[in-house]
Amino acid sequence: MIKFDRFTLSNGLTVIVHEDNSSPLVAMNILYKVGARDEDAHKTGFAHLFEHLMFGGSINISSYDEPLQMAGGENNAFTNNDITNYYLTIPSQNLETAFWLESDRMLSLAFTEKSLEVQRNVVVEEFKQRYLNQPYGDVWLMLRPLAYKVHPYQWATIGKEISHIEDATLQDVKSFFKKWYAPNNAILTLVGNCTLETAKQLCEKWFEPIPVSNIPVRNLPIEPKQSEKRTAEINKPVPNSNIYMVWHCCSRLDPEFYATDLLSDILARGKSSRFYLRLVKELKFFTDISAYMLGDLDKSLFMIEGKLVNGISMKDAEDAILNELEKIKHDISEQELQKVKNKVESSLVFSEMSLDSKALNLAYYELIGDANLVNEQITKYQGIGSIEIMNIAKEIFHPENCSVLYYNATK
Amino acid sequence: MLNRTESPALNQSADIKIPEAKIIYINDNIPVIIVNEGTQEVMKVELVFSAGNISEEIPMLASAASELLDEGTRKRSSAEIAEALDNYGAYFQTECGNDFASVSLYSLSRFLPKTLPVLLEIIKEPAYPEKEIATFCVQGKQRLAVNQEKVDFLARKHFINSLYGNQHPYGHFPSEQDFDTLTPEKLISFHKKNYLNGLVAIVIAGKFNDEQLNLAINEIKNASFKKGNVEKLTIPSSPDALQLHIPKEGAVQSAIRIGRRLFNRKHPDYFKFTILNTILGGYFGSRLMSNIREDKGYTYGIGSGIIPQFFDGYFFISTEVGSDVCSEAIKEIHFELNRLISEAIPSSELNLVKSYLTGSFQRSIDGPFSLSDRYKTLVLNGLELDHYYAYLNTLKNVTSEELLETAHHYLEVIHMTQVIIGP
Repeated sequence: MIKFDRFTLSNGLTVIVHEDNSSPLVAMNILYKVGARDEDAHKTGFAHLFEHLMFGGSINISSYDEPLQMAGGENNAFTNNDITNYYLTIPSQNLETAFWLESDRMLSLAFTEKSLEVQRNVVVEEFKQRYLNQPYGDVWLMLRPLAYKVHPYQWATIGKEISHIEDATLQDVKSFFKKWYAPNNAILTLVGNCTLETAKQLCEKWFEPIPVSNIPVRNLPIEPKQSEKRTAEINKPVPNSNIYMVWHCCSRLDPEFYATDLLSDILARGKSSRFYLRLVKELKFFTDISAYMLGDLDKSLFMIEGKLVNGISMKDAEDAILNELEKIKHDISEQELQKVKNKVESSLVFSEMSLDSKALNLAYYELIGDANLVNEQITKYQGIGSIEIMNIAKEIFHPENCSVLYYNATK
Repeated sequence: MLNRTESPALNQSADIKIPEAKIIYINDNIPVIIVNEGTQEVMKVELVFSAGNISEEIPMLASAASELLDEGTRKRSSAEIAEALDNYGAYFQTECGNDFASVSLYSLSRFLPKTLPVLLEIIKEPAYPEKEIATFCVQGKQRLAVNQEKVDFLARKHFINSLYGNQHPYGHFPSEQDFDTLTPEKLISFHKKNYLNGLVAIVIAGKFNDEQLNLAINEIKNASFKKGNVEKLTIPSSPDALQLHIPKEGAVQSAIRIGRRLFNRKHPDYFKFTILNTILGGYFGSRLMSNIREDKGYTYGIGSGIIPQFFDGYFFISTEVGSDVCSEAIKEIHFELNRLISEAIPSSELNLVKSYLTGSFQRSIDGPFSLSDRYKTLVLNGLELDHYYAYLNTLKNVTSEELLETAHHYLEVIHMTQVIIGP
């Protein structure tokens, strides 16, 4: 049970505080409600490029990292399709430094040509390192546009293509900031050695003066129902062939989320899962196979990715997967359901071991409705029955809802 | 009016006090590190064995023995083992390093009576079935093939090969042929020597009650492992600095590794070198990151590190850069090495790194798992708690002049081995 307090500043910034005196540190997490889905189709990769620029100095402070390190702090950030998240941990006696730094970059950035030019290059190298220069690194660059024709989930966080990043101008990034970075579009959480009183006082001092901004109402196109199976192929000199299958499924916000998540666990979580026992151990078709749902805030994807044993054909591999999916529509035992529920409970408890993950969890649950969901997850999973899971399987696993990427090794 | 241009006053942290762990000894003096704190009722039970790469007579044996532990015991199949742990949401982890191999169980504390016996069965009675070995080899070969396509993997491999020679346990990387030498007999005899007779330390960490702790200690006692010792290892003399460029067609980035053999935690210059390394490439604001990523934009990331081993240790710089700027990047790396040798570090920069490292150390003792890892490092390397206090003391007092001298000793470019993988 995580006890917390919540308050909202007059400019709309939501603040959540969880005091944990077992540590001399405090974690601060700031979640901005903007991600790659909010980008213009001709200017993709901006949310992520912007995350890089947030470290290039703010309006009153030339460097973000130096003063933080001087105060013994450490930080990082990530961007996904829905959110951009910044987090740090700092010894509690220097907590005010974190307020100073984070509030100034929420207020405004320095926006220098030099910082933009360098971060453009860095992100281009990141694109190459993670997506182009790795075997199978380009999978999501292919899969997303196959599965989504209308919704902005059709591009990856890194962007559709390198040129979008190379062409980014200072004006572009300034307007992106103005549009999305504001107190009324963010959630701040504090976890650790910090009282509610201190949190309030520091928030009022540093964050409250930041003006509220007009955040556009998000009005994203809805992905039309898919009506036939889609396939694509990549032929490359990779060591082994892989198969990637995605189905449209519910979002993180839908009540079906929990059953869908358990469905993926029964199929593929751990060495006693169906896929592992049947497809890896018994049939020996795959060296590794996983299943998971992406859990995006809009209608999301259910993904199965399998690494084929050399000499196994794509057809046999795909049929074997489909065969397992057919079975799970009609049969889930109570025992295997209880097993995956226990696994979920255990991983939720373990995920609350560190201050920064607690801080992120609280912020994320607040985003999707209520920070207190953090305390209700186990109950929500426990309440799911096998019929619900089988119904989800029947609903999503049919060919017209599926996109497949065949990644063929050409050696 | 709020002054946003000036940093709030910084408070020096009071002297760091490392929370005490309890260490007891069982079965012929095997240390048990006990850390009971935190907020979550979970437990980690870890057993460390002298079963790392240095204990193997043929390549790959140590890592295969470790990875195949849970693939079947004399009583249960691999599926049954997985099921037995999965039923309680417990996780099982094996690690095989150069010096030691360890096996850990992560479990909700209330399920420990159900999960710990499974862990001990896995470690005590692995069957190493032929069928599972075959699967392991198929998977291992496939992983290896994928890695062979990655420039950073190849750079690491050739770099380590050059430092220790590719036949030495510290320098060897598994090849495809190594997989074909595995047999159940070799695994069983390795297991007997290095696991059943090779326990060197036990860690019990998390939040638990006395009953759970006593259960853990008694179960481990009753498993009656024999105490192990680290194998003697001959370390070859340091090789001449080597320059290797291995072509990789079609790579859009080149991987670079630059470094040399150095020393381990027991060397008198270890702490000073750790601080120097941080300044060079050990944190986000390091000189290499500032210059090569933040100023030039040649890379997504660049870093350096010192790897202390039970015997010996080494230092390395690693990065992946756009292939077109590879030689410029190397020039800048050399420039930064030379700068550390020829100019004293400005006090503002040194103070920053001291604060950063002090904060990092605080983070590294936060929470029962991290704290127990710190104690494990001490126990495995035959060090005492004063080792960390000596480090904190060095952090507080070291001067730029002392670091200049340390840099001069260890960071000359002519002593560096350099490996490039790329077009």
